[in-house]
Amino acid sequence: MDDADLDLRRRTYAFFVEHRRAPAPAEVGEPDDVVAGWRRLHDAHALVLNPATDELRMLNPFSCVPTAYRVEANVRWWYGNCAWDAIGICAALHSDGRIEASCPDCGEPLAFDVRDGRPSDESLLFHVLVPARHWWDDIVFT
Amino acid sequence: MNLFRSEEHIARWLGTREPGATIPLTKLTELAFAWWDDRIAPDWAPHTREQNVAILERLGLVGDFWELA
Repeated sequence: MDDADLDLRRRTYAFFVEHRRAPAPAEVGEPDDVVAGWRRLHDAHALVLNPATDELRMLNPFSCVPTAYRVEANVRWWYGNCAWDAIGICAALHSDGRIEASCPDCGEPLAFDVRDGRPSDESLLFHVLVPARHWWDDIVFT
Repeated sequence: MNLFRSEEHIARWLGTREPGATIPLTKLTELAFAWWDDRIAPDWAPHTREQNVAILERLGLVGDFWELA
């Protein structure tokens, strides 16, 4: 990952945080260069593209598409890719926040606040199905 | 990577699948803040594998399941 790719990544994340949506390639640079750079960043696990369309799928911890993990932070709503990323949005924005999701088993709503780096509900459990060495084999499934 | 109400809900959701790892939300929150804190910093640089291993180890997330690629 060279300085040009790191700068592209920085511009891409800055656009996302400002506009709460993923940029089109032309919104952060010369489109062909941007797509080529995003592919390199995808290969380096610095973001995640939809391989079929080259559209941004994840700017971890943010999801570029709606998910089951909604996050209120900095007076805005975001989507996290998973429970870990949902809390990570509060961390990345250096903000308190609120996470809203549902139990994958029973479907009941789950919600908690994050204040000063601590969750308001300490009874909930986080389950990781995929061993760490395989997380990036299929990051969307993970 | 999901949140559940209890171990019972996890077991029912897993069905016949092999369980992964379960940690309390408090530990997940510590992990998330250590892992993602710098992610939109202008001078962000990719974490090295060693940095990420150190985060996991500091939180006691060790053993075969937590071994990074």
